[in-house]
Amino acid sequence: MTEMLRAPAETKYAEELDWLESIDDGPKPFSWRLSPKMVRLFILGSERADGLPREVAQKWFGDRSFVERAIVTLASDRGLLLIGDPGTGKSWLAELLSAAISRNSTLVVQGTAGTTEDHIKYSWNVSAVIANGQSRASMIPSPIMTAMEQGVIGRFEELTRSTSDVQDALISILSEKYVSIPELDDDNIVFAKPGFSIIATANSRDRGVNDLSSALKRRFNFVRIPVVTNKKSEAEIVRFRTVELLRRHQIELDVPPTLLDILLQSFADLRAAAASAGSDDEKLESALSTAEQIGVLEDAILHSNFFGDRSLRAQTLAGSLVGSLARRAPEDLAILNKYWHGVVEPRSKAEGGSWTEFLEGGREAIKTLS
Amino acid sequence: MSTPTFGALRSQLLDAAAALADGPDALAGILSGIVDDVDRALAEPLEIFPVCHHSPASAMAMARRLREKQPKVIYLELCEDLTPLLTELRNCRLPVAVQAFASELDGFPQDWAPLSVVAPITEASAEYQAIAYALDTPGVELVLVDRSTDHVFQWQPRKEKAAEPALEPGAEPAEDADLHGDAVGVEIGDLRPRFAELEEHLLHHGKVRHWSEWWDQYVEQPLGDADYDTYRQVMVLIGSLFRRLAPGAHDRVASDEERERYMWTRMRQHLATSGIDAADALHICGAFHAASHVAEFGLHGADTYEISPRTATKWHYGLIPSSHSSIEAQFGLASGSVSIAAAVFAKSLTRTGVVPYRLEGQQGRASAKKKAKPVPVVTPQSQQVADRLSGFLARPPVLDTLDEDELLGWSVEIVRLARRNGYLASTADAIAVFETSILLAGMRGRARPTPYDFQDAAVTCIEKESVPGRRDVRRLCEIMLGGDRIGQVGYESLPPLARDVHDRLAPLGLKLEQRGVQRALLDIAGDPVLGKCSDLLWILRHLLPKGAARPIMGERRLGHRAIQESWDLALGTHQRELIELGYEGITVEQVLEQRLRRSVWGPQATAAVALGAVEDATLYLRSRRFADELGARAVDLLAAERTVDDAPDVLRRARRLLAHYRATEPVLPAWLESFVKAGYAHYCTLLPNAFVEEETGTKQVAAMLGFLFSMESLALSLGCDRAQLELAVAQSHPTTPGKTALLWAAQHQLGVLPRAELRERCAALLDNPLVLPAYPQYLSGFVQALEPVPALAGFVVEAISQAFGRLPDAVLLPWLPTLITTLRKEGGDHVGLLVREAGRVFPGDLPTLDTWTPPWSTTAVEPATAGAPRVQAGPVGMLLATYPVPTDALAALLGCDGEWASPERDTGTGAVRELLARYPESAVALAAATGAG
Repeated sequence: MTEMLRAPAETKYAEELDWLESIDDGPKPFSWRLSPKMVRLFILGSERADGLPREVAQKWFGDRSFVERAIVTLASDRGLLLIGDPGTGKSWLAELLSAAISRNSTLVVQGTAGTTEDHIKYSWNVSAVIANGQSRASMIPSPIMTAMEQGVIGRFEELTRSTSDVQDALISILSEKYVSIPELDDDNIVFAKPGFSIIATANSRDRGVNDLSSALKRRFNFVRIPVVTNKKSEAEIVRFRTVELLRRHQIELDVPPTLLDILLQSFADLRAAAASAGSDDEKLESALSTAEQIGVLEDAILHSNFFGDRSLRAQTLAGSLVGSLARRAPEDLAILNKYWHGVVEPRSKAEGGSWTEFLEGGREAIKTLS
Repeated sequence: MSTPTFGALRSQLLDAAAALADGPDALAGILSGIVDDVDRALAEPLEIFPVCHHSPASAMAMARRLREKQPKVIYLELCEDLTPLLTELRNCRLPVAVQAFASELDGFPQDWAPLSVVAPITEASAEYQAIAYALDTPGVELVLVDRSTDHVFQWQPRKEKAAEPALEPGAEPAEDADLHGDAVGVEIGDLRPRFAELEEHLLHHGKVRHWSEWWDQYVEQPLGDADYDTYRQVMVLIGSLFRRLAPGAHDRVASDEERERYMWTRMRQHLATSGIDAADALHICGAFHAASHVAEFGLHGADTYEISPRTATKWHYGLIPSSHSSIEAQFGLASGSVSIAAAVFAKSLTRTGVVPYRLEGQQGRASAKKKAKPVPVVTPQSQQVADRLSGFLARPPVLDTLDEDELLGWSVEIVRLARRNGYLASTADAIAVFETSILLAGMRGRARPTPYDFQDAAVTCIEKESVPGRRDVRRLCEIMLGGDRIGQVGYESLPPLARDVHDRLAPLGLKLEQRGVQRALLDIAGDPVLGKCSDLLWILRHLLPKGAARPIMGERRLGHRAIQESWDLALGTHQRELIELGYEGITVEQVLEQRLRRSVWGPQATAAVALGAVEDATLYLRSRRFADELGARAVDLLAAERTVDDAPDVLRRARRLLAHYRATEPVLPAWLESFVKAGYAHYCTLLPNAFVEEETGTKQVAAMLGFLFSMESLALSLGCDRAQLELAVAQSHPTTPGKTALLWAAQHQLGVLPRAELRERCAALLDNPLVLPAYPQYLSGFVQALEPVPALAGFVVEAISQAFGRLPDAVLLPWLPTLITTLRKEGGDHVGLLVREAGRVFPGDLPTLDTWTPPWSTTAVEPATAGAPRVQAGPVGMLLATYPVPTDALAALLGCDGEWASPERDTGTGAVRELLARYPESAVALAAATGAG
């Protein structure tokens, strides 16, 4: 296997998926590689009650009914639209689902303002067209079209970022399940094979930018992924991702549990502050999602590894937190300043320990940025 | 328990026990203990029927068992003093709650009052099956054996009341969830993990969201077709496990054990006295109690328990309406779970053909009379059951036609409902919901989709990024799956007061027992009978919460008689409140009288409250005797009061009552006369203090002065002395500007301070830049002074105008907002009067304004009239001069010396005379008409 910075889920968990496939005796819809129950098991991990000889780690953290609803949607006639705040793990869930169901999570279209219908259907290799004329050989199928041809799951990231006319190209793909190529005289229809479906993600903060048409909405089942607010599962997510990160960077570094607690606590405090804020100016621009927490921790770890003494300190964490969250010059800094003096300072007096270092680090960082 | 049917349940419970026990030894101990518990409960000669609340499986098993066994006596775990109420159930539409209520406590701390216990009863419950069987089968006795409601409170540590179970996380309280008020709930068969970790463990490992779903999946569904022995084993096993895994809940376990001792003692007593064979009896209790360890347990248990006596508290009993959502809220169940249980019960009945027991004449659902089929005997080793369920994890679920029809019906119905609520749902969605439900059920390892699967499927397929209407798909599913059923207590079971209310409102011709708001139109002038209804409605409005009876048109106040009224009535919706009113008395009048009496004799009573009570008694009860009694109390209260906080209220109410009695009766009631007398002396005494005290507001002082001035003539005629008031005013030395202004107004009213001097003082204030910032407060004092001295309105307008006229803009403009806020805050009632006065003083159009001079600047200096009184010109002077004899006699009597000054003859230079001179025709015609010369 060639070296990859970040391997897709099907590669990363290839061994586990193989094993699951070998023991899977449940009924499989269409051309699915795993039965729905095994897909669920792969994503949510195993428990003792499942009676498996080896443990399957949990890879996505959240309410199990979301995963179940997502899986059955893919087994049905409709596409799946995962909707939620940024950083809630929508894309990760989509990747895991496609990896488990079709062992291919790389057929992705990224929705942007510049996405065109060609990106969803097909385009032409101009030099091949000039040389040989229009034929299937000179056609460049889009990831979605490839997914149709192979009968696997295609993914569409940030569906609501692309314009409405582009979105609507999906309508016929989802209902008729074929794409016609009028430029060709024969062999001009690509039919979707059984097992084809689409997982799209949409950011609920982008609502209203390019609203989905009712026709398209009807063809998707919506599964809303909420921000994780349960401290316990959030800690699990952060720990899970951090371990992965350390392994990827081949860093030997210990994340002390107290620092993890400090990170979770400060995010929880800031979220509570944002929830009670009256106007946008009174809350941080950041969505304060779990992904953001992981980002802060990653930043701090890398910093300590390369510039520090190879151990994570509270000062570094504080600096990284301030650095990641202070996006707007006066507003965000003012909120962080208020937080540091109103919450962190009393807490460092009461609890001492790492909080004191955290306080100092934060002050320093705010001072540098101001 | 050996069949694979219960494999999932067994592994769930074993896992939980292993995870939460303190080690392998403890686990072994727990497991063997459970086996012993089950053996013991099943070997008991007095058959124990373990139940769980709101469990359709319990209800089904009960119906089957009763038909099979036909017991002669049934012992039910329900407060024993509630027995007489159960026969009343047939008059009601279920769910209703059996209630015990006490407001006068004897033996409990007074601050616990009122005590209320409710035991809700639904139709899909095991206890209802037992009650219906026992009451409708001749020769069967139903004995309630649990501790009395009195003991509920005796044994309950008070702190528990605050720690009532909260709603499931994420559940929203439904619209009708407060039907039970703040009563303590008791129920039969409370079976739920007693500590949070166990429940959390079961939910997590059972892969379900809430307790009701866990129960449904792991107990309810496998038990649905199980035989009686299996049912009993499973129930006792669960009860025993929960009992053993309840660390820390010592208080509750102790209370439970106390109840078990109580129940077994009662049952043995009953068996001994009635001589019934224990084999003919059936004891219905929660599964938790079936696994009891107390020494008194069993037919041959210890007989040493002594039942403690009840307190002397007098309990009232009745039925109140309940609803599924109230039950869910009261017992912390997931929203919709009771409705779903009812739907499952109904379906199980159809599927199995078991005919349930139902009380003869039960209101509500019209049940087709079917003859009971012979009991389908389920063989203990039902291989069929084992086979059907053993492999369901490995293959897609098989729906029987009944399930499929039902699911199809649900799918179509939810789409219809969603459309009605603004969703863009179509037939395609119905198909998707149907398909998704089956897929979800398969994935979750269920033989057929449960309502919870269906709910998830509907949310997946229909819910988009926003909710278009008031309800989301989840809520719509709950509504569809039976919705919230709200019970109703039938007329015959209502307390006498409520029946009386319904009887007396019969002339309205409305179906008041129905829920919802109904409009009543009362043409009292046309139909005097309706006058009586109107009286009753006003009392109900006074006694019941807002919304039960709401007048739309018409009012009732002193001196007012409505000829037409219209009302919005919702007595059916507020049935519980009406029933609870019934615990207080026989008629609403009696209740009102008691409440009024309590309010004036209570420790919080004030004179204002007592005057209010007099007003209410006059308005609603028309009872002069009672009003007099309350009034006498008002006099006492006023004399005992040391503060004047209520003075504005007292003044308002006293004025209203005075006006009323003056208009309707030849003489004032004696109490009112004493009240005015006492009030005059009382307020005179308190006046100097009130002027100084910081806590007493300007408004209060103004109201005191108002009382003193406006009732002065009456008070003086009753023997009060004006000197008292003059002295009181002379002793007053206020320090705040507002009160100073009030004092000036009072002095002016008493004649001590002429208007010219008052004007001077105000001018001085305006001239002094140091006092200027306080000027608005003086003004607000003057505005308040309009209450006692309404004649001052002209002067107040003048004072404000002066301020506008004389202050430089630099001072005036920043000061204006203060003036407005001060006026608004302190003088709201009197601004209208001021505006009218200003309208009179100022010219009505702009051109006139240029030439207009304010009346106060033209006022000439009043001639000093000290010394000899001026002889009045005019008709009065003329009359007295023409007939001097009576005046002379009066003067002689008073001892006045003096002589007649010849009055100037009225030459009539006034405007009137001028007018008459210019147009004499009308005067001449009038003279001709009256025959004057």
